Amino acid sequence: MQTLVLALYVLIWPLISLAIFAIIGIATVNDIRVARRDKRELV
Amino acid sequence: MNEESFYQFSTLTVLALLAAFYGGTYLLTLLIKKKKENTDAFMVSNHQIGFGLGAASMTATWIWAASFYGAATSGYTYGISGPLHYGLWGALMILFIYPFGRRFRKLAPNAHTLGELIHARHGSSSQLILASSNILGSIISLMVNFTASGALVSVLSPLSFQAGVVIAGVGVLSYTLWSGFRASVLTDFAQLMAMMAVAILIIPAVMFALGGPQTLSDGMSLLTPEQANLFSMDAILNQGAPFFVAVLAYAIGNQTISQRLFAVREDHIKPTFITATIGYGAIVIGLGMIGLMALMTGMEPIDGDMNNLIPQMVSMYLSPVFIGLFFILVIGSLSSTADSDLSAMSAIVMADVYGKNIAKNKPDPTKMLFIGRLTMIIATLIGVILASFSMDILIMLVFVGALWGAIVFPVIASCFWDRVTNKAFTSAVIAGLVMFCVARFELVPMVGVTAGLFELLAAVGGGVVLGLMAFGFCGRRVGVVFGALCTIVLAYFCFGFLRDYTVLLASLMAYGVSTLVCIGVSLLSSSKFDFAQINQDVINYDPVKPAVQA
Repeated sequence: MQTLVLALYVLIWPLISLAIFAIIGIATVNDIRVARRDKRELV
Repeated sequence: MNEESFYQFSTLTVLALLAAFYGGTYLLTLLIKKKKENTDAFMVSNHQIGFGLGAASMTATWIWAASFYGAATSGYTYGISGPLHYGLWGALMILFIYPFGRRFRKLAPNAHTLGELIHARHGSSSQLILASSNILGSIISLMVNFTASGALVSVLSPLSFQAGVVIAGVGVLSYTLWSGFRASVLTDFAQLMAMMAVAILIIPAVMFALGGPQTLSDGMSLLTPEQANLFSMDAILNQGAPFFVAVLAYAIGNQTISQRLFAVREDHIKPTFITATIGYGAIVIGLGMIGLMALMTGMEPIDGDMNNLIPQMVSMYLSPVFIGLFFILVIGSLSSTADSDLSAMSAIVMADVYGKNIAKNKPDPTKMLFIGRLTMIIATLIGVILASFSMDILIMLVFVGALWGAIVFPVIASCFWDRVTNKAFTSAVIAGLVMFCVARFELVPMVGVTAGLFELLAAVGGGVVLGLMAFGFCGRRVGVVFGALCTIVLAYFCFGFLRDYTVLLASLMAYGVSTLVCIGVSLLSSSKFDFAQINQDVINYDPVKPAVQA
């Protein structure tokens, strides 16, 4: 049980990072689309 | 340092890695069109940054090279709870400034710096306190980041420390100089994606290279009872609480954060801050786990230097490909913070110094841009020189932290309470700073009545911190009641106890004293400020005004 808990405690952070990686990636693609649609620069 | 204990890249390999990183970053900035250049874009991207880029930039800026080393050191020193007491509080501070950030944007939708808002509210002296503390803080941050680059390059390759410092300085300046904040935001995205990808790979790679979860379970026997305790008081009092207080001050006082706050589209502020909070926490706590794993395997840092923990673990257990990825991770983190510091300093000198105090709100935009770029060049030179000669200016960081701590309540109160005056603001900051120094450097014996009084003032500071958090999310009444209750509870527990924790005592004193003085002096005045004036005084400096609000 301790082994499983420790493994989860260490690995949960890269998993959350992966989720945020996906969220930011998708959101940025959306930012690019909106900027193109509005004919303005991305930044 | 025993460099033979670390994996060594050849000079050519490390130069190729640096050229790929900085060359790629520079090429990315060429995507920014330069035809319609204006000061507003140079400082805050016309207030039109989207959610994805905003969250990426906020996260990348908040993470600097010291975040990895600090989190790993915390994990190694305090055990199971160590990484949490570094990463979690840092993350929560991003979230904490969100409600106040919304108020700043509402009061001054055209602002480029928090100093402009304070200038409109109080005048030059309060504004310049904020501006000068930011410039000093950003110079120190630049020096620390360039130093980290020099140390990394000298440890992992035959190149000298100075070579690493100069390459980082020139690399960061090259891609930031022309487009300023816009380049910073665009490259932050790429740098954060790279950092996240590397962190996602390296953390499990280290764990499985050590022998998997079973090795960690076996390593629990090496931990002291305090290190094995998730709720270790030792970790809370020596790491968590001082760090919590310090990063709160940093979040409110630092221009790198407020610049992004003013740049993100107003309707995207909430998701941007929430995503940055979770992203920062996950990356930093995750990399802190490498320090914990080092502790669980009984590893000793070379020369007793905790900054060697992560490079040692990566060198010992991973292949050269991962070591290269780690190299990029550190260079990416320090570069993203350094370019933010350059952008922040240029905006402060452009808007706070030139725009408000020299040109008196009628600046020449062309001259303003020139001043911004010149600031970046001078700041980089200073950062490189300080880092190259390894000058010991970190003591200044103590003062900057104290100054920012003393600023928190006066800044927030100035944006919500119409009775706060310029005199109240400046006297509160000065009093907070002086009392911080008295406590921090123990200028008076910390015994008897003096120590008791200081502990009570620190309890007020603790109540202010917690009360402000409650106020931000639940409103004024809840904030005041919660803050008062926390002060009473903290006074009970702090009395006769906190004098042994000088750093925490002094930091909380800065909050407590500045709050009491700010409230006291404000109550002596009967004048009331009209907040609508701020929007009239904080202007866009370009002739044709771009769209401001979504």
